[in-house]
Amino acid sequence: MNPATTDLKRCKRCHLPETYETIEFDGEGICNICRSTEHKKNVDWAERKRLLDALVAKYRDKGDYDCIVPFSGGKDSTFQLYYLMTEYKLKPLVVRFNHGFMRPTIQKNNERTFKKLGVDVLEFTPNWKIVKRVMLEAFRRKTDFCWHCHSGIYTYPLRVALKFDVPLIFWGEPLAEISHYYDYLKDEIEYEDETKFNMCRNLGITAEDMYGMIHSEEDPVDRRDLVPYTYPPLKDLKKLAYCSVCLGSFIPWDYTTNTEFIKKELGWEADELEGVPSEINGHGEKIECFMQGARDYIKFLKRGYSRITQISAFHIRNDRMKPEEALPFIAEEGKRPPSLDVLLGYLGLEEEEFNEIVKSTEVHPYHHDYSHVEHANKTWDYASFYREKNDGKKRPPGLRVLK
Amino acid sequence: MIGIVDYGMGNLRSLRNALDFVGLEVDVFAEASRVQEFSHLIVPGVGAFGKAMENLRTRGFVAPLRAHAAAGKPLMGICLGMQLLASRSVEFGDHEGLDLVPGRVVPFEASTSFPVPHVGWNDLTIAKRHPLLAKVNAKRAVDYYYVHSFHFSAKDQKDVIATSDYGRTFTAIVGRGSVVGTQFHPEKSQAGGLALLEGFAEWDGTC
Amino acid sequence: MLKRRVIPMLLLRGERCVKGKKFTDFRDTGNPVMATRVYNAQAADELIFLDIGATNEARPTSLDVVLKVSEEAFMPFTVGGGIKTTEDIRRALVAGADKVAITTAAVENPSLIAGAAEMFGTQCVVAGIDARREDGKHVVYTHSSKKRHDVDLLELVRELDKLGAGEFLVNSIDEDGMMQGYDIELLKKVVAVTKKPVIACGGAGNYGHLAAAFEAGAHAVACASLFHFGDNNPPRVRSFLKNAGYPVKDI
Repeated sequence: MNPATTDLKRCKRCHLPETYETIEFDGEGICNICRSTEHKKNVDWAERKRLLDALVAKYRDKGDYDCIVPFSGGKDSTFQLYYLMTEYKLKPLVVRFNHGFMRPTIQKNNERTFKKLGVDVLEFTPNWKIVKRVMLEAFRRKTDFCWHCHSGIYTYPLRVALKFDVPLIFWGEPLAEISHYYDYLKDEIEYEDETKFNMCRNLGITAEDMYGMIHSEEDPVDRRDLVPYTYPPLKDLKKLAYCSVCLGSFIPWDYTTNTEFIKKELGWEADELEGVPSEINGHGEKIECFMQGARDYIKFLKRGYSRITQISAFHIRNDRMKPEEALPFIAEEGKRPPSLDVLLGYLGLEEEEFNEIVKSTEVHPYHHDYSHVEHANKTWDYASFYREKNDGKKRPPGLRVLK
Repeated sequence: MIGIVDYGMGNLRSLRNALDFVGLEVDVFAEASRVQEFSHLIVPGVGAFGKAMENLRTRGFVAPLRAHAAAGKPLMGICLGMQLLASRSVEFGDHEGLDLVPGRVVPFEASTSFPVPHVGWNDLTIAKRHPLLAKVNAKRAVDYYYVHSFHFSAKDQKDVIATSDYGRTFTAIVGRGSVVGTQFHPEKSQAGGLALLEGFAEWDGTC
Repeated sequence: MLKRRVIPMLLLRGERCVKGKKFTDFRDTGNPVMATRVYNAQAADELIFLDIGATNEARPTSLDVVLKVSEEAFMPFTVGGGIKTTEDIRRALVAGADKVAITTAAVENPSLIAGAAEMFGTQCVVAGIDARREDGKHVVYTHSSKKRHDVDLLELVRELDKLGAGEFLVNSIDEDGMMQGYDIELLKKVVAVTKKPVIACGGAGNYGHLAAAFEAGAHAVACASLFHFGDNNPPRVRSFLKNAGYPVKDI
């Protein structure tokens, strides 16, 4: 394990380090996310369920669909779809934004889920050429190449809601489970709206921003190409009387029990993750996307922690793992995933250039030792990932300098 | 309908934008004869007390504002507007205020640790419940934006709805009857401020 | 308790935001109105907009942008760039700005500061100081770093303080966009000669730099590259500062 990571201050309970976004430590060295989770049991879930009943009653049977369920096929969206259809017998329109990195197990899971439940599904795949451009731009500015996915996932279902005239949109896990942008202690329903989108979903970059960043006379972009990432106008959403909420604000969200449910009822299968021991990921965290390994690796380079720490943190907070049991797993973190080569191919970057860019966005006080590289194992489906080998040398280095 | 009093001092546009954003019916007006058109009045203000009172007097606002308050209709003062609700102020002289909430406007004592003006975000300690705070989530500790060199010293502690702290405790929200005032700028205090404006709009003036 | 302020800064060029290094080599950093919406959602403490073409193009800050920004900003915002007369200031305030930043005119026509303070109040007036290190001294520049002045930096600060500046925005030309930290020496010099709030500007690249600026006596920190070219945002900054023991805004 990279020795620098041990210098980070960590939560005494869940081990999340000081470089974790929005983390704050109290006088006892316990983090705000642990404290928020402690409070979760004090939320009046009976009252929240009543609110959910009322919400469903208000919106159901008014149009072609009772609600929209934004769907990736991961454990959360699969559970939320299952729950809404079995608990309330709702007729949802499932909306899926295809980020371009779907894995075979997820595709199989989805086919099984949709056919077992019997539901209408709409899937959207954005223009890959544009995806590559915005991936590179977002990576250069934020060292997060997933802007197209963050933006698409949280706007596309709202566009569909407007087009199909379906005001109720049910998302799944509340952010209060993972970070402190939201907090169980504040006792609020989490809405998935433009404020949340701009606060913490889109890396602070809107479609309008991105258009000006990537468009140039030499290499023009059609403004319409950014439409799939554009938040619909508030006045249209208000006219629709939209209600875009997290199911996890109405029922207590537990990843492990949610996954047990969908495994049993829908035959949902978990999968391998690059750099994560399967024994701690039985609940199938983050198995939807084959770029997850690269994403987790960048996180480690910047912040000195990664997916193993995050997964252990959940287990610890839900009393499924003791804090000391997590340490040997955390020690294995930070291995370079094979999928990084796939990403570098898309972006047309050499690894050295990639490292330089990531180094420039290190999160204080972490410093990564780039001389120390260990390699993670390939996942079983590695050979199936779509590949491109792009030549980055044709374009000028770095961000475009204006005349 | 909320009326924003335009007496030549204050960031009217921001206040208007904030009320528009919350979805409230609002009009900015400069003619004192129009006071009776509005169910709710907001008196904004940035600048000096003496000049503000002079402007209100010469534009004929003093009597209509007092009448609006006496009729039990909601009236809110913001920043300097809140200070104008007092009986008098010692800012650059000795000036009479609207005397809608008994009290005096006095200066902060400048020091190295607490330079004046007091500018920035500061917390709120709520002394008593008030309809103005009806939309503010009691479970959130929220800060508000202040920029002032003088503060409101209420004659009757009962009129102090909330306080803040800058080297000393000072009045952040004052209120009597259907009159209320905030030293901070709710239109510049994001979610917490907007919630307060919503609370004001829904208030019928009774406590 | 008064909280420390973290103020995103946005440079305007035409209808877009830009950011450079040492006041040159600009890159597009987004749309100012959308950026305001984002920073508002992130509960940024304040915003500062500087129209970098204004002074050299002999015009004041574009009011069109100010009007649109004021519909999105539910926190105080400052505009600057090309402010030469009290009429320029009045227009900016009527368009919705809460404060104006005056840099070039503060040096070439300091009576503007006094006039502004009297007409609009000292809280509206932010005096901007752009400085470069030369032979162990800090030299004052105006016109977006294009024009050098022989005026003594600290004398200038004292004079503007007396004339009625409400705050000082102290910007290091050398550190601008370099993301290696603020010019702490420059900051300390200015903090020593005024009781008015001092806003550090130029050079922030990571959260540690912000803490260093507060340690040096800054009341507030302005950041541009930190937010444009790093995986950072105001809520994350607040968490870091809280952990470092600084009081910051609760939302």
